[in-house]
Amino acid sequence: MSAMKPETRAFVYGISGVPVLLFVAMLACYGRGTGEALGLLADRSGILLTGAPGFRGFGGGFSANVLMSVAAIVVSVATGALLCIGTIANMRLIRLISLGVVNLLRNTPWLIALYAMLYLLPFYVPVFGTVIPFSPFVKAVVGLSLPVTANVAEVLRGGVDAIPSGQWETARALGYRKGQILRYVVIPQAVPLIIPNMMTVFATLFIGSSLAVVTGTSDVLSVANTITASDGSQYATAVQLYVLLLFFLFAFPIATLARRLERQIREKS
Amino acid sequence: MNVIQQQAPLIELVDVHKSFGATEVLKGVSMSIRRGETACIIGPSGSGKSTLLRCLNGLIGVDRGTIRVGSFNVEKMRRDRDLVPLRHEVSMVFQQYNLFPHRTVMENIVMAPVQVLGQPRDEVKKRAAELLARVRLTGKENAYPAQLSGGQQQRVAIARALAMQPAVILFDEVTAALDPEMVSEVLAVIRDLSRDGMTCVLVTHEMRFAEEVADLVFFTDRGTIVESGAPAELFHAPRDPRLASFLGKVLSRTAA
Repeated sequence: MSAMKPETRAFVYGISGVPVLLFVAMLACYGRGTGEALGLLADRSGILLTGAPGFRGFGGGFSANVLMSVAAIVVSVATGALLCIGTIANMRLIRLISLGVVNLLRNTPWLIALYAMLYLLPFYVPVFGTVIPFSPFVKAVVGLSLPVTANVAEVLRGGVDAIPSGQWETARALGYRKGQILRYVVIPQAVPLIIPNMMTVFATLFIGSSLAVVTGTSDVLSVANTITASDGSQYATAVQLYVLLLFFLFAFPIATLARRLERQIREKS
Repeated sequence: MNVIQQQAPLIELVDVHKSFGATEVLKGVSMSIRRGETACIIGPSGSGKSTLLRCLNGLIGVDRGTIRVGSFNVEKMRRDRDLVPLRHEVSMVFQQYNLFPHRTVMENIVMAPVQVLGQPRDEVKKRAAELLARVRLTGKENAYPAQLSGGQQQRVAIARALAMQPAVILFDEVTAALDPEMVSEVLAVIRDLSRDGMTCVLVTHEMRFAEEVADLVFFTDRGTIVESGAPAELFHAPRDPRLASFLGKVLSRTAA
């Protein structure tokens, strides 16, 4: 154990310890009925993981959470990068607007952003005669992307700000223009600083995807609620503990990797 | 640049003013430096030396007055795009070296001529190897800046500035951040450049070095050039009492 990297040890403890804890919680709640509750969970695993019994498709359940998180990451990295460029633009007006948007989005509770999507976005948009539907899934992705965009923009800006001003000045003295300085000098140095923080944002987004239940998409929580409604509320705790385990198993490795990268950067500098 | 006669000053400043907010840093500075000369700017800290240097390559725009470097009217150049040809002519070396830490020594030297000036990489690399020999760092091509001493980093920074094939190099207190034993190796490189006829403008606190290499010394105080002239006069027969008192302070410190 002592030869392991600190976060490897933390990972081993966490990844084995947390499931044990959850199991103990199950035992505490269900006592002799634990076996039965576990049987139900095994039965319902398919629908909880994929939205359909028998592991068919990815459209619902936990895989929907993963899909919408990945989609929200793609969207928010793109919009966050644009917003970040806006906050360091030469034009004061663009800078002010971008900073305003960042602060507005950053201070929007995620749940409110999701509710807003539910009521603000139409159910479909007609484009040149074809109708593009805004499914609950799309609404959830948009709603999750809004606050995350601001976080991504802040993480990017933090990385860019961390590069000493002397680097900018020197690059300018060598004839580089602003875009070139970002591309050749600043961003290559900022990326290692940005990545761990970015992964923390992604892990938070992933956990936050459980809020998507309010948009009416068939994510893992809405599936869990359906199961509880059909199989009886005595299994609610078991189902919720199972969902918790799923989120943990997915988010914990990401968080561990982020911590490891952070340590490597600290040791390098 | 060929149109300029050898006799006309390469650098000419007339009544340059610059304020940062309410602080007036340059209050009407005029100076001229001919091609091939080495000029040293000395003076107490906060007297506007570094600002003055940064005006010469347009890193800092001026409020009033004119700056001519070769055929460029620097005070009229505001956009980065327009400044590129000027930066080709005027290179700069900084106090904190400011090498790009994510690139090797060779890459640091090659980057700007290739990426900014669009010169062929092979040609620039050949030139960079010669420059590294000139600053006595052959063999360090693939080292990263963090693996070099301060003096070595500063010599790489000089090679990087030279790789732009400039007509003028600006040195901003390039030995101020160095450990004493590394100062001489950097000064030796500058001395060589100066002897080879490169036009050099130095902001420096190394008075003995200034006296040795300079053709021309400017003493600045509170945003103006108080006295200027040949080093022999300036250092040994200062006319202005402020210069005399400044020299008294710094020279006694060096002697001690």
